[in-house]
Amino acid sequence: MVTAEPSRPVTAAAGVDPLGAPYLPGRFAIPARPPTFLRRRRLHRHLDVGRTTPLTMVNGAAGAGKTLLVADWAASLDEPVVWLTSDAGQTPGLFWAYLLEALHHHGVLEPAEVGFPADAHRVDRKLLARLAVALAARERPVVVVLDEYDRVTDPAVSEQVEFVLRHAGRGLHLLLVTRTEPLLPLHRHRAAGTLTEIRNAELAFTPEETVGLLALHGLELSVAAAAALVERTGGWAAGLRLCALAAREADDPEAYLKEFEAGQSTVADYLLGEVLKRQPAETQDLLLRVSVLDRFSPVLANTLTGRLDAEPILDGLRRQNAFVESLGHSWYRLHPLFGEILRSQLEVTRPGLRPLLHRRAARWLRRSGYLPEALAHGAAAGDWEFTAAALVDDLAIGQLFTGLRAEGLADLFSGMAPETTSPAAELVRAARALNHHDLGRGLAHLHHAERTLAAEASDPAAAQLSCALLEAHAARLTGAPGRAEKAARSARHLQGEVPAQLLEQHPELNALLLTHLGTTHLWAGRFQDARAALDAVVASPAGAATALPRQASLSHLALIDYLDGWLDRAERKALAALTETERYGLPPSSGSSVGHLVRAAVAVERDELDEAQSLLDEAAVSAPAGPDDPVTAAGRALTTARLRLAQGDAPAALSAAEPAITADVVSPWERGQAAAIACSAHLAEGRPETAARALLGAPDDQAACAVEAARALLAVGHPGPAIEMLDAVPPEGEAGPAVTVPALLVRAQACDQAGDPATARRILTRALLDARRERLRRPFLEARPWVLRLLATDPQDGLAEGWLLRGALPTTAGPLVVEELSARERDVLARLAQMMSTEEIAADLYVSVNTVKTHLKGIFRKLAVNRRTDAVRRARELGLL
Amino acid sequence: MRYEIRVDGQMSETLAKSFPELNHVVLAGQTILFGPVVDEAHLYGLVARCQSLGLRIVEMRRQPE
Repeated sequence: MVTAEPSRPVTAAAGVDPLGAPYLPGRFAIPARPPTFLRRRRLHRHLDVGRTTPLTMVNGAAGAGKTLLVADWAASLDEPVVWLTSDAGQTPGLFWAYLLEALHHHGVLEPAEVGFPADAHRVDRKLLARLAVALAARERPVVVVLDEYDRVTDPAVSEQVEFVLRHAGRGLHLLLVTRTEPLLPLHRHRAAGTLTEIRNAELAFTPEETVGLLALHGLELSVAAAAALVERTGGWAAGLRLCALAAREADDPEAYLKEFEAGQSTVADYLLGEVLKRQPAETQDLLLRVSVLDRFSPVLANTLTGRLDAEPILDGLRRQNAFVESLGHSWYRLHPLFGEILRSQLEVTRPGLRPLLHRRAARWLRRSGYLPEALAHGAAAGDWEFTAAALVDDLAIGQLFTGLRAEGLADLFSGMAPETTSPAAELVRAARALNHHDLGRGLAHLHHAERTLAAEASDPAAAQLSCALLEAHAARLTGAPGRAEKAARSARHLQGEVPAQLLEQHPELNALLLTHLGTTHLWAGRFQDARAALDAVVASPAGAATALPRQASLSHLALIDYLDGWLDRAERKALAALTETERYGLPPSSGSSVGHLVRAAVAVERDELDEAQSLLDEAAVSAPAGPDDPVTAAGRALTTARLRLAQGDAPAALSAAEPAITADVVSPWERGQAAAIACSAHLAEGRPETAARALLGAPDDQAACAVEAARALLAVGHPGPAIEMLDAVPPEGEAGPAVTVPALLVRAQACDQAGDPATARRILTRALLDARRERLRRPFLEARPWVLRLLATDPQDGLAEGWLLRGALPTTAGPLVVEELSARERDVLARLAQMMSTEEIAADLYVSVNTVKTHLKGIFRKLAVNRRTDAVRRARELGLL
Repeated sequence: MRYEIRVDGQMSETLAKSFPELNHVVLAGQTILFGPVVDEAHLYGLVARCQSLGLRIVEMRRQPE
């Protein structure tokens, strides 16, 4: 029955492993009942009655027999029961990942149905809503048991459990097995009659049940004697069992029990001492040693004792129901009550042994492929050289950046002793620093690791590959394409030297590497290379481990589309990136802020300025701590500048377009766009000469700059050179409307100025056709007076109506209102006409001065004026007043 | 803050080692654990430790400084 080798994790076969590491077995198994287990009908009946309420709580002290009671009841049901034993210190992400995995494991949910959390610290509400909906749709309620729920201490988890419980309706029957009062709103459940409670008093053994229990241990006892025992132990199941064990070993069980009844020591303490003392020396030694482990198999126990007898000993203890509980798959755990006492015994009787035991356990767990547990024990042993090497050799360094374990790993390594200077330890330090955008420290540690690795005779490919990943990360932060390429080349070379299986287990490594490479190419303006790398990441299989790099790649692909002038495509990709966030409940990241920035930039082009502002604010909220990488910084600066320009605030646009970005190479598109915005801002302020000068330092091949240069020429009345300027722009096959339409408009204007209105109209038609599909409004609004004049004389078959012009065109030529004024703007305008000051208007309308200023800007923009008197005059002309 | 926690039963020396930060005194049928408690979190931790050792708390109070 018990096999020598630990069984592989039960979930590995299911193929879904959201944590990128095998689970230790036993977490999803209903604990086995020992032969001496006494079934108590009254409690079973209460649990049966409890199925009419959505929530049942079994709440009692350690060793009260809660888990075995619920396990026995659950096993007697003729339907699958989803069992999850909670772990200490679980964050919401891990808790839900495990629960979803348990649901998949029992075939209650399809993995694709709900998705997985990708971040340990938060879970998206939508993911929980999908779970609740999936459960609510079930015909029969699924029974979910959360054992040891007292170990869940994060209030957020209980709040989320309550949310799912409330919305799953009749599809879920939840059983909480806990030692402490959970943080759910129990009073509300009690008032609504939706809670069944089985508490300590009900769990306590009655004298009759005690007689039955002791009989299973081969002890005959009268009910009166049992009553005295119940009195002494408070009907405490663990106490009674230990009592039975101790009495059975005694020469005269009756006398022994009498003696115990009369005693004054604490029950557990006394009984444990008694029972432990009666165990063979080997058993005592084994129990003390395994007390450092949460779960163990016979082989692991042998590793700690240095003997080979764990299997019969553990099996014997399991049969006696003493100290250990079977988790199935020949894995065990200590009864929680004794774990604590045994650990203090270990400290007293074998001082100094604990770190050694942790070290041995860590090495065994590492060899057996249980990396997270190996790391935890390595850290507990203070063996940082081993722990860091385990992470690096497993190619798991990417898990410090992405996936559910990222936060937990970072915490674990935050305690790393500074005197550990092995290459692996330095790599871990570098990764943690880079993750916080601390470039200086990151590079220092990275270079130290690289030097040590180079000096070593052996050539550990995993460590070299980790170096390459971190190099690429540093290259992204510094905008250094050469460095990124070098790192990618060496990674490609090294990937052949590490076991293929490791690479498969860690898809995040390659995904992160390619994302860094792609974004660095993007910075350098090599869009084709960038696309190739980023597309490869997006095409890789989805999963929690790669969710962050996938999201970043999609966002950056969206940015490329935007820069190429394809607004719809850019928006779709940015939305897909943000969907990735929601699906996995990701935290704010630089990837998601680029996604928001692209959407904001698209909104500016469509003249949806309020939308743009709120997206820009969202991007700022989702920005991670620490300085932005160059692409994000540029995206933020340029989008802000374009929005300010569109709002008519040219000085603000000018200052926003000049961010302090430090990067190894100059980004042609960043420089080009910044220069174009500066030029446009100067033109808006009526300074064509300064505008032209703003373009002097810009790269030659940027279409946006050529268009602005042509506009500047046009502004000073040189239509011919303007057209030549536009002709000089190389035709771009890839360019979309947001790039081509502004050029068409300037060309049309130039033709018109040069006395060729027919050509101008023809070109305008093309621009309208191209722009309409993408709802590209901004270039037309920039050329507003001219476009409107032309449209007024020739409506272009209504091409502009419905999306560009709101409302019908008046027949008179002249300045037109492109956008309707809002009701509030009309209020402000009416008061403006009465010569009221901003402060007076604010007081009159019960709003703040700033709000009035915002309305004024809106009025100026819509009426295409710059001054209050002009606004009033224009409004009178248009019959608005 | 200083606290004293009174639990049912006489604790053995070994079990008392589970509370290395506290002193203890064994009375007839009860044990009093007493000593400095860092903060609320520490206090709750002590209560949880009592529970996981199967100790029944009879009384718990803050001592005057």
